[in-house]
Amino acid sequence: MNEFVETLLELTWHEPKSSYDVVIIGGGGHGLATAYYLATRHGITNVAVIEADYIGSGNSGRNTTIIRANYGIPESIRFYNHSVDLYRNLEAETGCRIMHANKGLIWMAHTESGMRAERSRVQLNNACGVETVLVDPIEIKRLCPQVDLTGGGRYPVLGASFHVPGSTARHDRVVWAYAQGAMHRGVHVLQGTSVTGLLRDGDRVVGVKTSRGDISAGIVMSAVGGDVSTIAAHAGLRLPVRTHPLQAFVTNGYAQGLGPIVSSTDLLCYVSQTARGQMLIGHEFERESSYSRQSSFQFLQSCSLKMAYLLPFVRNLKILRQWTGRCDISADFSPIMGFTGVEGLVITTGWGTWGFKGIPAGGEQMAELIATGRTPDLIAPFALSRFAADHPMADQGSTGTR
Amino acid sequence: MRIVVDEQPIEYAEGDSVAVAIVRADQHPQHGGALCLAGDCGNCCAEIDGVAFTRTCLTAARPGLRVNRHPAVGAPPLHPDPPVNPVASPNHVASTVQRERADVVVIGAGESGTAAASAARAEGRAVTVLAGELGHDVVGVYPGPLVIVRLADGDMLHVHAHDVVIATGAAELHPVCDGNMLRGIFTAGAAEKLSATGVDLGMVATVELEQLRSIEGSDGHVTGVVTADGTSTPCHSLIVTSRHTSPRDLLARMVSDPHVHAAGAAGAHFELPPCPTTGVVCACSKVTVDDLQMVWDKGFQHLELIKRASLCGTGTCQGGACMPHLRAFVTAKSGQAAAPFTGRPASRQLTIGEAAADMHLDPFRRTALHDEHIALGARMDRFGGWWRPWNYGDYLDEYWAVREGVSLGDVSTLGKMIVSGPDVVEALERIYPTTIHDIRPGRSRYVLLLNERGHLIDDGMVCRETSVDGTDRFVLTFTSGGASFAEAWIRDWIESWGLDVHVLDRTLALSAINVTGPLASELLRRVGLDEPPRFLQHVHADVAGVPCHVLRLSFTGEASFELHHPRIHSVELWQALMAAGSDLGVRPHGLQALFALRLEKGHVIVGMDTEMDSTPRRLNMDWAVKLDKPNFIGRTALLRTADLDDRRRLFGMTMDGPAPVEGAPIWVDGQIVGHVTSSFHSPGLGKTVMLGWQKHTPFADTVTIDDRPALVTHPPFYDAEGARARA
Repeated sequence: MNEFVETLLELTWHEPKSSYDVVIIGGGGHGLATAYYLATRHGITNVAVIEADYIGSGNSGRNTTIIRANYGIPESIRFYNHSVDLYRNLEAETGCRIMHANKGLIWMAHTESGMRAERSRVQLNNACGVETVLVDPIEIKRLCPQVDLTGGGRYPVLGASFHVPGSTARHDRVVWAYAQGAMHRGVHVLQGTSVTGLLRDGDRVVGVKTSRGDISAGIVMSAVGGDVSTIAAHAGLRLPVRTHPLQAFVTNGYAQGLGPIVSSTDLLCYVSQTARGQMLIGHEFERESSYSRQSSFQFLQSCSLKMAYLLPFVRNLKILRQWTGRCDISADFSPIMGFTGVEGLVITTGWGTWGFKGIPAGGEQMAELIATGRTPDLIAPFALSRFAADHPMADQGSTGTR
Repeated sequence: MRIVVDEQPIEYAEGDSVAVAIVRADQHPQHGGALCLAGDCGNCCAEIDGVAFTRTCLTAARPGLRVNRHPAVGAPPLHPDPPVNPVASPNHVASTVQRERADVVVIGAGESGTAAASAARAEGRAVTVLAGELGHDVVGVYPGPLVIVRLADGDMLHVHAHDVVIATGAAELHPVCDGNMLRGIFTAGAAEKLSATGVDLGMVATVELEQLRSIEGSDGHVTGVVTADGTSTPCHSLIVTSRHTSPRDLLARMVSDPHVHAAGAAGAHFELPPCPTTGVVCACSKVTVDDLQMVWDKGFQHLELIKRASLCGTGTCQGGACMPHLRAFVTAKSGQAAAPFTGRPASRQLTIGEAAADMHLDPFRRTALHDEHIALGARMDRFGGWWRPWNYGDYLDEYWAVREGVSLGDVSTLGKMIVSGPDVVEALERIYPTTIHDIRPGRSRYVLLLNERGHLIDDGMVCRETSVDGTDRFVLTFTSGGASFAEAWIRDWIESWGLDVHVLDRTLALSAINVTGPLASELLRRVGLDEPPRFLQHVHADVAGVPCHVLRLSFTGEASFELHHPRIHSVELWQALMAAGSDLGVRPHGLQALFALRLEKGHVIVGMDTEMDSTPRRLNMDWAVKLDKPNFIGRTALLRTADLDDRRRLFGMTMDGPAPVEGAPIWVDGQIVGHVTSSFHSPGLGKTVMLGWQKHTPFADTVTIDDRPALVTHPPFYDAEGARARA
């Protein structure tokens, strides 16, 4: 037995009913977390989570598992910091070992303008109560001795912001922790069930059409990743969202040795070592929008080169596999959470490359919104209506994309 | 001839793979597990010359080759700093990539592969055959199709093909039963290879996998085997045969492309082996049948969920050895045939160094004056895709040279474009939010470049030339970082409008030197420019014998002349200016001083002070937008948002004392309302000047930054009337 099969909790499956108080489309982290918090915080358990494939099969099982709150605008810092807090307590709360590990996150800068951005990040993070400190090259070397401060002679490291709460957790375990917590309290999770349309009563959404029949609902939430535009279109809703592929890869597992999460603001790639010892390496999303999950060799080539510049020791590590997810990128690179303007339909989307870190806070806040019918303050800035009102939450520089 | 295993020399025979040599010494490349010697499983992986997870069965033995077995418990160590260019091993960094094109790539030289290759050749198609026995280790098949291969000598081979035929055949099954991680277990194929090379396996028992109950052993080595009928047979080595095989279909499963075909056994339907009941299913991740049963009982009743919950199939061999057993387990439990999970590249492991072989990133550009800057002691920094001087030692010296004397700045990186043609005025009226038609020849105007959303994407100057033959001609400038985007942007719009405009991008052909400071005119007179242009005018003239387009403007706040000139004359012009101004104290200035100087004038830098969605209104630059023009890019969006409540504005601010860090939060009544985008403690003004955002209304007149009060104001902070720029 390997150490990763020991403490799994039990999943309980149900046959679908014809009606629920709440139907959540999408059995990924956000959908299941919302169901979990509806059940645990609000006592709402007549809930179904509908998943086209298997739970966590989308981006929840394809991300690079990084948890951080070092954003560049107060609204985002506060939201993600709340998520960092919820993650920290998730093992204790759910009893499920999610392998949460606080490692710290180094965001290295290689130019004066890069340093300027990191100084700014440090200022704003601290003002919002988030511990991010500016570190010089000597301190970087102390935090991560493997870093080549010359950046392969090409990307000299001038300094970094070090985000102290930066953490990782095993993505599947997070999905399962929420799934079992919700299931245990009576939530139905329906795998292998595709949503093919929305049931309408006039303008109002009153349920979903699925591959296993119609299911009516008091309220429908879309927590879909990748195909969100299709779901929204069933409600006549056009979203300011583009979908782009995002690739990542892992090496084989090695003895633990890379302490912090290491990231470059210039090269837009990052690495952490998983509990299994694998180097988990990611990159910015692909420029061309696409629903494709095909991996490319070009990605592997360029990401490998960049990693070898920053951390020369990785050159000898054997690549195990690469994969691709689909990211919904909103017009301002921030998530969209809340009411849609269509009665009976709420949405959580625009999770781009930052969805995993937002799972606990996103689920908790959406559950509160559904339970109370009011938008909680923490997510009010992320309402869909911000685009029509021209109050965007632009913070591209904090997303690890360009 | 000897290799070295865990620091112990081991004899090997000519032609041995490392795995065969180790077995010849009655050892195991790991600590147990069946060996197939065919590259299908991960049971023979070891660290070879510092590279762990290397298949010893695919590595030829050579004298002195160092093998370190992976630890029995835990993972192989990380080596902090591997050598850059190891001579001894081809496994570190492949230096060369060979590239080929083929009509058809056939992977596999067995019966099906040979047949496929012959058939394709008969159709007159160019065929490349890739096979392990030919020294090809096929790493992956990617969309294209593109086939990535590692060659025996360590080079990489990338083959672009019209069609790919995957004819990799079938693999032998590994036994799954109690005792299957002992040493001394071989597949029939492995046993055949060993026998052919004269390896003595001692007392051998041969058992069919379907008849296997358990394997007995002591000290980690096989001592006997028990078959389904309960018969126990002592042996030193166990050979496992099987009626079943497993398709080698990982390559076929990793790409969905109509031009990628599986042929022969690799694509055939296979009968699954019996459901395993005991033993290790996945040796790479050490997953037992009991583990599978446990996760199944916990509700993980889906092949992908079982994989993720147990990690079965996620190790080195990517399911190569365990997939048929895992599928047999799920099929037996669920009663439904379980398809294999998605194949992921890379199918054969390559190192990060090998993946990166022959990869290059875009070069950083250097101006023609790069060496001059270095000689003058500049600290270079990358900005906007170029190497540029950050400072030449002390940026305040440079600041004062601009304010009180004369200074040179290398602005060669600015985007420079000539546009002309019958429709050029119409095109520019549509591209820019400013009025263009009333710019007189010889004059220039500052312009914003907006996208369709009304967001600022660049800024620059529009200079109208004297018309030649009645044809209008303009010179446009753009920011350094925005130049290449702007060229595509302008060409695409003109193309889509169908306007008759000729666009000539001169960014890389022309260098530019900014001569700035109160003594700039004097310096230019000394080098032959007797009548320097007036503010916002531009002329063509020889300067120090170099033909220049001279633009009079001001970013620094002082009289400034941009000398645009052919790149080949840059060094001579720079040196002439430096020489002619030596008694005027001329010195160059870098970006650090420039950022301070422009901040005193309140000039924004796109991307530093602006955000991705900064409208002119948010930047207090409505004056540069003429909404009453009939049509320009971004007009529709600006009209839509003109009446909306706007909560964001970029303001100037001043305060006493040292400059806050750029990025410092701006507070009002204990709330963060925004942040400082640029700050500078001006020695000339005796106070700190700043730009920064307020993102909450009503906008405050006084704010708190660094626990100190700051006064909100409108720039410029320096020479508000612009007398010095016009002087």
